Amino acid sequence: MARPKALLFKFPGTNCDAETDRAMRLAGFETDVRPIAVVDAASLREYQLLVFSGGFSYGDYVMAGRLAQLEIERRLGSAIRDFHHAGGHLLGICNGFQILSKIGILPPASLIENVSGRFVCRWVPLHRVAKDSPFLSALPDDFELPVAHAEGRLVTPAPEDAETYLHNGLAALTYGENFNGSSAAIAGLQDPSGRAFGLMPHPERFIDRRQHYDRDWIAAEHGWGHYLFQSIYERLAASA
Amino acid sequence: MSQSASFRQIPIRELSGGELLALSKQMKLSLSEEDMLTVQGIYKQWDREPSDVELEVIAQTWSEHCKHRIFGAQIEHERDGVMETVDGLFRTFVRKVSEAIFAAKPGFVLSAFHDNAGFITLDENLAVCLKAETHNHPSAIEPYAGANTGLGGVIRDILGAGQGAKPIGSLDVFCFGYPDTDPAEIKGDDVIHPRGILRGVVRGVRDYGNRMGIPTVAGAIQFDPAYLYNPLVYCGTAGVIPRWAIDKRVQAGHLVVAVGGRTGRDGLKGATFSSAALDDTSHVEDQQAVQIGNPIEEKKVADFILAARDARLIEFVTDCGAGGFSSAAGEMLSECGGTIYLERAPLKEEGLVSWEIFISESQERMVLAVREESLPELRRLAAMFETELCVLGEADGSGVLKVTHHGTEVCRLDNSVLHEAPRQHRRSRWTTPNFDPEPDLSGLDIASTLKGMLGDFAICSREPIIREYDHEVQGNTFLKPLAGAKGDAPQDGAVIRIDGSEQLLAIGLSILPEWGKTDPEGMGLAVVDECFRQLVSVGSNPDRIALLDNFCMGNPNDERELGALVETCRGMATAATAYAAPFVSGKDSFYNYFEVDGQSISIPVTLLLSGMGIVEDAAHVTGSTIRRPDSVLVLIGHSSRDLGGSVLARRLGQGNLRVPRPDLQRNLALYRVLYQAIRDGLVLSAHDVSEGGLAVAVAEMSFGEKADVKIDSPLDAVDLFNEAPGQIVLEVPTAKQEEVLTRFHDLPVRVIGRTHSGSGRLRIGSAVDEPISVLKAIWKAPLGAHY
Repeated sequence: MARPKALLFKFPGTNCDAETDRAMRLAGFETDVRPIAVVDAASLREYQLLVFSGGFSYGDYVMAGRLAQLEIERRLGSAIRDFHHAGGHLLGICNGFQILSKIGILPPASLIENVSGRFVCRWVPLHRVAKDSPFLSALPDDFELPVAHAEGRLVTPAPEDAETYLHNGLAALTYGENFNGSSAAIAGLQDPSGRAFGLMPHPERFIDRRQHYDRDWIAAEHGWGHYLFQSIYERLAASA
Repeated sequence: MSQSASFRQIPIRELSGGELLALSKQMKLSLSEEDMLTVQGIYKQWDREPSDVELEVIAQTWSEHCKHRIFGAQIEHERDGVMETVDGLFRTFVRKVSEAIFAAKPGFVLSAFHDNAGFITLDENLAVCLKAETHNHPSAIEPYAGANTGLGGVIRDILGAGQGAKPIGSLDVFCFGYPDTDPAEIKGDDVIHPRGILRGVVRGVRDYGNRMGIPTVAGAIQFDPAYLYNPLVYCGTAGVIPRWAIDKRVQAGHLVVAVGGRTGRDGLKGATFSSAALDDTSHVEDQQAVQIGNPIEEKKVADFILAARDARLIEFVTDCGAGGFSSAAGEMLSECGGTIYLERAPLKEEGLVSWEIFISESQERMVLAVREESLPELRRLAAMFETELCVLGEADGSGVLKVTHHGTEVCRLDNSVLHEAPRQHRRSRWTTPNFDPEPDLSGLDIASTLKGMLGDFAICSREPIIREYDHEVQGNTFLKPLAGAKGDAPQDGAVIRIDGSEQLLAIGLSILPEWGKTDPEGMGLAVVDECFRQLVSVGSNPDRIALLDNFCMGNPNDERELGALVETCRGMATAATAYAAPFVSGKDSFYNYFEVDGQSISIPVTLLLSGMGIVEDAAHVTGSTIRRPDSVLVLIGHSSRDLGGSVLARRLGQGNLRVPRPDLQRNLALYRVLYQAIRDGLVLSAHDVSEGGLAVAVAEMSFGEKADVKIDSPLDAVDLFNEAPGQIVLEVPTAKQEEVLTRFHDLPVRVIGRTHSGSGRLRIGSAVDEPISVLKAIWKAPLGAHY
């Protein structure tokens, strides 16, 4: 059986690609990291999963993820949406979540400045809402991951949409402590198919237990982030 | 659009000394009369007049910023009436000391002093480096942009070390006035309030480091009114490199290639600007010396450099820092010689004259020497990472630096002349003060003193700032700046895992300017001890520690101020020798004084001592937060009755007490035993006793809120609050208590207390009985109100 293959996009300013790549390889994936300047639309067919890693694509000037979205459309047209329609999976982490939101694959939402007005680097408790998400199946309902962002407050076009996302399962992940002021404490969204998933926390930063701030953390064999990559790996390996 | 060279000949051969000095001032060259006379002598010998480009190049090259001329000066130093000749501070107290250690530890230091950063061995394949810089003057004038480009610059130093090292962690250290300074106290127009400086500087560091994806893992802030007019901003970055890529060499036939940002008028004359004092016109006149940062440009350059290095396309690389192309190309072509074609440099704007292109310090530029056949692949990588590349010139083996602009030669300098600035001769003196007697502390209320200290700006939590820095990007921060069971307790240092190695890099730092006010030699001893002690406490092998010295001072022309610098260097060198911890890099910044109302206000001599240590196994990484409710707390090291420099002394208004002097041999013995105990799994946590003394150290250890802490001994105020170097509190499993005491048997060691489960209280004898949560809240509160 061939191992699932993932493509990690790299934009000028993407800076979590190396550790995301490392985490995905540990989970079993075959991976390629490609700067956007050398990605061609036809090559996407080789992959089962497209990953948008964290960082500051194009400096996040204008609005987080906006310039990356425009570059994707300029260079690849509708190739990413076509990949999704054809049954492909997509993962966006932090800035990648912001980019995926802008592309329009995830339910309508924006990630705007945290209520504190500050960049926040900390760990946060999380709650798994979408128990059947292919990205979350190996995780427990409650776990924690690090976050690091200035623009992570999720808002929806109409205020009540956030509650709707909670009820219809599109809000796959919520914060146990709503430090950035997100509507309905939403930390991650999925599309109705579950094949596209975006989250603000950084699973790639908690693969090894020793990455935890508490030396005595023993809740699981690996860091919680590993189980996210393992979830999607197993799903894709099973359907290969 | 100018299609020709624009430069002038500057007649200097007929000028008098006074006229030469006036010319230097008018052109803002920051060259002394003696320097100008030397330049005049050279041109008389060459029988021609210099071009403005040449004068600018010489000024940049000979600037204090680039050449460290005060550290090279011969100094007639008088200490307590006894004269001695210091044959160069760098030579005497840094290089000689370090070279002796290099020789004693073959294979440990792989490169020092000549490259952009010094390298030490990590394992058989990899080496690590650390570099720190100051960016004081720009940060005083434009805090955000100044700090932003300060960090951007030191990151480029790492990218330009060897054939290009990968930046893996940053540190930032600031010295500011108090954030609650009454604005009415500030003299001089346009001086920025410390709170404005603090906010701007932190955001500048944040926005560069976070966007570059380099975790900011270590830091410190000193608050002291002495820094009101001259804030200090130190930025440092660590890197990792494959050992094969450390050596770099330029040869005749190599092409000189520039990559990254374009060249503009921003950042003209930064090197000479930072080699002069500030005054109250600086804020208006020197604006053009502060550059604009663009971290995404630098991120693209970083990705390009590392890819090019791994493809073995780089023969030599250095960054465009102070002096721009002139110092980068000058460094690259200094032995080999070659030609730079200015018209090839991509410009941000039209109309730059020749010297502006050559010395502009526009950010995010790197200069490489490459083989001609590598060019197509380099161009492909540049396109892939969307950064601009141009062939700026070539190396030719002539030994002469030639610069042409649209076919006209605008500069022709023999590099052997360029690199020999006249040696300075200086005088300095230090008189040991008559210290005040020990204060009577018998009436001191221990509990309220402890609370006051936890809320003191010197000690309170830096969390509001630390959380703004992404300290976890790259996913390798194994010991974070805030950790423990709640993730918010302070640690002694940071430890970074290195991809591809079993061994890890620890970063520690110490800065104790208060100590140096009365005892600079004691400060020099103490900062080396503290940095070294931190590195061992987090798990580093004491035989594998290397140090960096970064000095800032006021006016070197003041004999007493320069005397304090000499004594600081002496102390630092003594301790480094005793610990066999060599210096591998360093930097200095002078003229940190401010002239207002006919008065000159200088900073105290300030030495940031930072260091890297090798932690040989992830299992050795040791935090500073209590982990078990059934441990024994052990204090190693001796306390001292001397309270000079301590936070307690500052709070009591005692500015003239004797500072504690470490017993270096005994401390090193302690650290060696501690390291073996950590390796053998006998130590659960360890925290160095520093600002605030033992009482504060124990309180900070309790902030994981995992256990009650009860200290039975010692109980006296001096024992609890002295900051004598060499003390460390260890948390030891009760079952291992005897073994630990046995291992330290002939050294200062004693059990001071225990941890137990309970309602979360810290007790110190009968003097303190407080909920840990209350103490922690006091410690966490102060900075948030001002940041």
